[in-house]
Amino acid sequence: MNTKYLVAIVVIIVLIASATFIYVYYNNQAPTEGLEALQHLVDDHEYKTSLTAYPERIISVAPSCTEILFAIGAGDKVVGVTEYCDYPYDFAEWLAEGNMTSVGDFTTPNLEVITSLDPDLILASGGVQTESVDTLRTRGYKVLVLDPTSVDGILRNIELVGNATGKRTEATELVNDLNNRINAVGEKVGNAAKPKVYYEVYYETTSSWTIGALAWQSELIEKAGGTNVFEDQQMDYYQYQVEALIARNPDIIVLPASGMGTGEQASLDAVKTRPGWDTTNAVQNDRIYQINSNIIERSGPRVVEAIEQLSEFFHPELF
Amino acid sequence: MNMDKVENTFFQRASRWKIIILLLILALIITVIISLNMGFAPIPFSDILGIIGKQIPFFDRLFDFSLVSPVNEAIVLEVRLPRIIAGVLIGAALAASGVLYQGVFKNPMADSYVLGVSAGAAVGASASILFGAGVMFFELRLIQIAAFVGAVSALFLVYNLARVGSRVPVTTLLLCGIAVNFFLFAVVSVLEIIAANRLHDIVFWLMGGYSNVYWQHIWAILPFIVIGIATAFFYVRDLNILAMGEETAHHLGVNVERSKLILLVLASLITAAAVSVCGLIGFVGLMIPHLTRLVIGPDHRILLPTSTIVGAIFLVLCDDLARVLSTFFGPMSTRDWPVGIITMLCGAPFFIFLLKKKKRSYGT
Repeated sequence: MNTKYLVAIVVIIVLIASATFIYVYYNNQAPTEGLEALQHLVDDHEYKTSLTAYPERIISVAPSCTEILFAIGAGDKVVGVTEYCDYPYDFAEWLAEGNMTSVGDFTTPNLEVITSLDPDLILASGGVQTESVDTLRTRGYKVLVLDPTSVDGILRNIELVGNATGKRTEATELVNDLNNRINAVGEKVGNAAKPKVYYEVYYETTSSWTIGALAWQSELIEKAGGTNVFEDQQMDYYQYQVEALIARNPDIIVLPASGMGTGEQASLDAVKTRPGWDTTNAVQNDRIYQINSNIIERSGPRVVEAIEQLSEFFHPELF
Repeated sequence: MNMDKVENTFFQRASRWKIIILLLILALIITVIISLNMGFAPIPFSDILGIIGKQIPFFDRLFDFSLVSPVNEAIVLEVRLPRIIAGVLIGAALAASGVLYQGVFKNPMADSYVLGVSAGAAVGASASILFGAGVMFFELRLIQIAAFVGAVSALFLVYNLARVGSRVPVTTLLLCGIAVNFFLFAVVSVLEIIAANRLHDIVFWLMGGYSNVYWQHIWAILPFIVIGIATAFFYVRDLNILAMGEETAHHLGVNVERSKLILLVLASLITAAAVSVCGLIGFVGLMIPHLTRLVIGPDHRILLPTSTIVGAIFLVLCDDLARVLSTFFGPMSTRDWPVGIITMLCGAPFFIFLLKKKKRSYGT
């Protein structure tokens, strides 16, 4: 008699426990729709990554990646950033207070620190970081490389990071908002004549560098209602001949204000004194502008800010 | 009789040398004129002549130069001409200092890197990029001054480190130079690591080149290079005697230590002036003296002037190639190749060709 009751109670308890377990287990797996996306993350280098759960410990090894993560509200999952990350927060302060860990500088992220942080997702950029990315992947870390070649590529990356971190809605909202702002600029400057714009990467006695058609900054200039004076050059960053610039006569000169910047940290006046440059429209009409290099060189959401600023440089009469 | 013969061959040789030097100067002038045509902007040769003629006093009143466009004038006078003149000066400087270094050290591998001069310039330039970019000093930017100061201080550091009593043996000088050279390039690497956002600027500068040289730069380095090379001519006999060994030179009445010091200071001043503007350009200083030696022979009295002119011609031609190379890939290409790459790409194979051909005579 007692044994029968006991068996029944045990059976009921087991049933309830398994039901609860199954319920809790499947609930944790939800939402299933987002999880499917987690298994097919394809980054800019065509590398396929699959995650089993939304990452809780993310490391960003590039300022542009940090900006994307915080812009879509995944910032609370970020456990490590580089020393160069300074937006949207002053991470140097966070690092000093111990609220954030530095994984070193941009070119050589510190592997020991990364290992100790035990990340479940790492965001990196291309270029000089490619080697580090290979090392990290060999060690079994999940790495997404964000190395866009166009504004659309940047927007796609925001969605990719949204998918990877479970911030799909926020990412879509952000992308829509950014697209609207780009279109608003486009509508404003659409019919205006396009000035020829020279964008400086580096200028020194030894050499001078600018952007050709393949650098996405060229597209920013285009979207802001201008034309890259070297848009027919099928290169991204390259060493150009100053006499070519003088012969092509740019209407506007844009200098990044710091960062990768220019050799002589070109003040606007220094540009005017460069030999031969005084024949250009830009110098004669005093149309030389400086732009925050962080917004125009980082492939994050702030490129739209760069487009807006450039459009005001190019078409002051429309604003 | 015998004396007559010696005198005769001397005069024969002297007149042959004069012809060689005259021909080389002629070649240099032709090179400069051809180079004025090289570049992205298609400017008719008549316009170029007009632009230059306009600058010559009196001459400008004889002809009408009003048709030349101001843009072309700016390109020829402010971009191309300074670049060509800088090529002449820097090529001459690097090659001449190479002759002096190789002569003093009696070492075929000696050049401006050996005494840490190039490395010193690199440290000076990198430090100024990091800590004082944009500072002006008598119309020159800090970076050029810092490179020059770095180069000269490296020489004095090495020279004093290598001093043993009142003598400076060549071996200690070489070893100290190499050690300091490594140390200084390590300092450059440290500066690159702490450079953060300005890393690119240092890397670009170290790549070398003089594409955007101003007239101010040329006026600044001209006296060092011209006076330096001219002074060195007074010591070429000492170089010839030094080649027989310091002991022999001493007994032949050469003040060995003084000659070495003067020649090294001259070579380093010349190099420092050049690298302060052009950064690190390889091959010219090391190989042009060898190249000339293969053709002309080892006598420094003819080796120094010919190397100087050949260095100038070589660098100007390489820089021409740097400007027009891209047109082979696309007619509208505006790319400028780093001249240091061209000097090595063109120079090294030519040098190996000469070495193979003249191998036997070079061994003696």
